Amino acid sequence: MIEVSINGEIRALDGEMTLSQMLDILGYRRDQGFAVAVNMVFVAIDKYDTTTIKEGDAIDILAPVQGG
Amino acid sequence: MTKILENGNEMWEIGGKTLSSRLLIGSALYPSPASMEQAIRVSGAQIVTVALRRQAAGEGGGNHYWNIIKEMGLSVLPNTAGCHSAKEAITTAQMAREVFGTNWIKLEVIGDQYNLQPDPYETLKAAEVLVKEGFEVFPYTTDDLVVAKRLVDAGCRILMPWGSPIGSGKGLMNPYNLRAIREAFPDLTLIVDAGIGKPSHAVLAMEMGYDAILLNSAIALSHDPVRMAEAFRYAVEAGRAGYEAGMMPEREFASPSTPTVGTPFWHQNK
Repeated sequence: MIEVSINGEIRALDGEMTLSQMLDILGYRRDQGFAVAVNMVFVAIDKYDTTTIKEGDAIDILAPVQGG
Repeated sequence: MTKILENGNEMWEIGGKTLSSRLLIGSALYPSPASMEQAIRVSGAQIVTVALRRQAAGEGGGNHYWNIIKEMGLSVLPNTAGCHSAKEAITTAQMAREVFGTNWIKLEVIGDQYNLQPDPYETLKAAEVLVKEGFEVFPYTTDDLVVAKRLVDAGCRILMPWGSPIGSGKGLMNPYNLRAIREAFPDLTLIVDAGIGKPSHAVLAMEMGYDAILLNSAIALSHDPVRMAEAFRYAVEAGRAGYEAGMMPEREFASPSTPTVGTPFWHQNK
């Protein structure tokens, strides 16, 4: 088990996994229109399969909203 | 050849796009999605600002406001609102480029939580990186001329000095500084962003020769956002037309406008 922060909330995952696997487990669909940063570094969509999520990582998943 | 619009104003270019409207509009704070949509339409704006926020899994339908904006088919200008460091802003900009499919970014790095004043040092740091990464940076800055110069040196082709703090509605706090920036950069695209509270504020900025106005709260927080959107549309057009027409010089003394020749009841003093 590892603990990570997802959008500021601590979550337990079964172990290290790719970002792609983590998003699938959490129920994020690729057509939702979101972007991801791991430890405040942007991860492009074509890197989801090769990015490993590790203990203590902070993942931010952002989507479009209204803004000024 | 410059295209002249029906209202007499000229088309203008920004970030590789040719537009007729010189009003950029925010999409936040509206009482309802429907009022936002209608206000944006009535304003005539062709650029709408948007943002990125954390999304929970399962929100597959997406944000309702965003879905409406997407359907409207206008150009979107993502912002980095809420960022307090260059690093946060750079990451947000990179994420926005992927999600929104545009290299435009309204760079906003806040340096003071009380008046939401932009942090010039972090804004400059972020601008340098983002310009190198191919972004068209729309930096939200103060009306400080030296900061403006540094941002231009960093490669910014657009500057967005504030009129006054975000959401304050105080209008143009320092017209002298805004004029100085306009005079220092006659060919740069300049947009007054933030602090506009009423249509007359927008007219003043446009009469100074600013290329456009970006605002949100003044429309969204008015009693009738749709009517206010219309008012701002006219204000921006009127200010621009006045600037293009060229203002008469101010005089210290009165000067009659009606011809004095043939004035009735006039008699030569004996």
